[in-house]
Amino acid sequence: MDARTTARVPHEEYFPPPPEPRRPNVWMTRLRDDRRELARFWPVIQNMVVQDLRVRYQRSVLGFVWTLLNPLLMMATLSMVFSQILNSVENYPVFLFAGMVPWSFLSTSLNECAVCIIQNEGLIRKIYLPKLVFPLARVLTALVTFLLSMAAMFLLLWPMGARPSWSLLALPLVIVVFTAFVLGLGLLIATANTFYRDCGHLVSVFLQAWYFLTPILMPITQFRAEAQWRFGLNPAYYFIELFHEVLYAGRWPGIGLFLTAAAIAAATLGVGYAVFKSQEDKMVFRL
Amino acid sequence: MPYSSLKKTRWFSGSDSRGSSSSAALVELEDVSLRFVNYADKQYSLKRAALDLVLRRDAPVAKSEFWALRNLSLRIPKGSRIGIVGGNGAGKSTLLRLLARIYPPTSGRVAVRGAVAPLIEMGAGFNMELSGVDNIYLNGAMLGIGPREMRARIDRIHEFTGLREFAEMPLKYYSSGMYLRLAFAIATEVDPDILLIDESLGVGDAAFVAKAKDRLRGLLDRSNAVILVSHDMASLRELCTRGLWMRQGQLVADGPIDTVIDEYLAWQAALEPPREAS
Repeated sequence: MDARTTARVPHEEYFPPPPEPRRPNVWMTRLRDDRRELARFWPVIQNMVVQDLRVRYQRSVLGFVWTLLNPLLMMATLSMVFSQILNSVENYPVFLFAGMVPWSFLSTSLNECAVCIIQNEGLIRKIYLPKLVFPLARVLTALVTFLLSMAAMFLLLWPMGARPSWSLLALPLVIVVFTAFVLGLGLLIATANTFYRDCGHLVSVFLQAWYFLTPILMPITQFRAEAQWRFGLNPAYYFIELFHEVLYAGRWPGIGLFLTAAAIAAATLGVGYAVFKSQEDKMVFRL
Repeated sequence: MPYSSLKKTRWFSGSDSRGSSSSAALVELEDVSLRFVNYADKQYSLKRAALDLVLRRDAPVAKSEFWALRNLSLRIPKGSRIGIVGGNGAGKSTLLRLLARIYPPTSGRVAVRGAVAPLIEMGAGFNMELSGVDNIYLNGAMLGIGPREMRARIDRIHEFTGLREFAEMPLKYYSSGMYLRLAFAIATEVDPDILLIDESLGVGDAAFVAKAKDRLRGLLDRSNAVILVSHDMASLRELCTRGLWMRQGQLVADGPIDTVIDEYLAWQAALEPPREAS
């Protein structure tokens, strides 16, 4: 038998990566290096975010209004339809807003993160930049849009019953936690899609399904009481619920709910970061 | 030429590499190898990966591998002016990219101390939709020049490129010559410790080339170490003091530039006598 055909080629790149032996000092140095590098390359991120927003809106007459128009139209349609079905939900447009605006931040970020490495191929192969810059810039761009549209929509929904309350003071904290969750997922997807391009197609399908599995269109009280616990399996549920509490119900979110969401966010960000960092060096060879 | 004789590396024992402590070396490579794996011959999709995992089989098609750098060891102390010669595909550009941190080494250790200015690819990181000024800031930030510093230097850049009146125009309307001029101006605006230059930089018309040479010389003088890859032996002899000859990803010779170039040319002439050695 020919030795050549029997020789096994070692399969060196696994995804997901095999669990590494735990060496805290490696990760500590990585974190420290990243902090230094991100501080050095912060102007790049800033520049990318600003220019991205500028390029998006330059030469369009309505500019930022377009970002608002799309969810507004969507919400108008949905509230027309669903307020007929769900007449028990008061201020239904506000409820929709509180769930949909954060969700669109999540879905935009994830869709953008999926392609962030691939689209910057020209850059990555020509000049050194810490690869974390790309998903970070995309998420931050989406975050800025999210914050602006949130503020604008809140004002637009004033006639529909959107009222500020003291619980809005918790909103920054909720947004921070949610952003950490989104960034963690984004890092995972960015890594996955760089190595397997079909992940990009999966993401949009997956997001669509996830959207309907998250109580955005109707509160979970609309579901059978014995089926409601199933939402607890959906990590996004906790975050959307936080937004509902703060923006719609005007209540301080329960500490248990908040801590659960924070724990999920921390875990997601940790895993996302670890996966991204461990594969980062190989990315340039896969472009 | 037998393989073993190619592998032999002679070390340059100039005054600047001996006697100085190891911390003075700006670049240290220790037994560095870099392998490229060509994935193009195998559409490695998620489906394929899942099947491989489920059926517990190894990757069915051998990936084509290519060692771009093999067992390279190198110390570059402060004040070095290094010229790299070698045929196409010898790994010269890959070495520069490795030093610029674009490629990680497959094995071995790379230590680069200090700011690196890569004049490897002109206009990397340009955004065609943005205006000239915005691109200056963006590209400057990538090269490590903050916006505040850049504001102070922007006049010098405009003066050098002569593109002040086009500064607000999106880059996509620039001619290729204008584009190159702007890229060159930004890339040479840095104050690097280590300067990496790949090939002769083709830039613009004759008048500009003269200006560019001046500017490049200024940059060379400012840099603590210069690594120059070129096929232009005359300019290598002029600008460099130490030469490296690479072949098939390995270091063949390392020594004073004239000796290395002479050896390289002699080897080339011996290899293909009818054609003139360039």
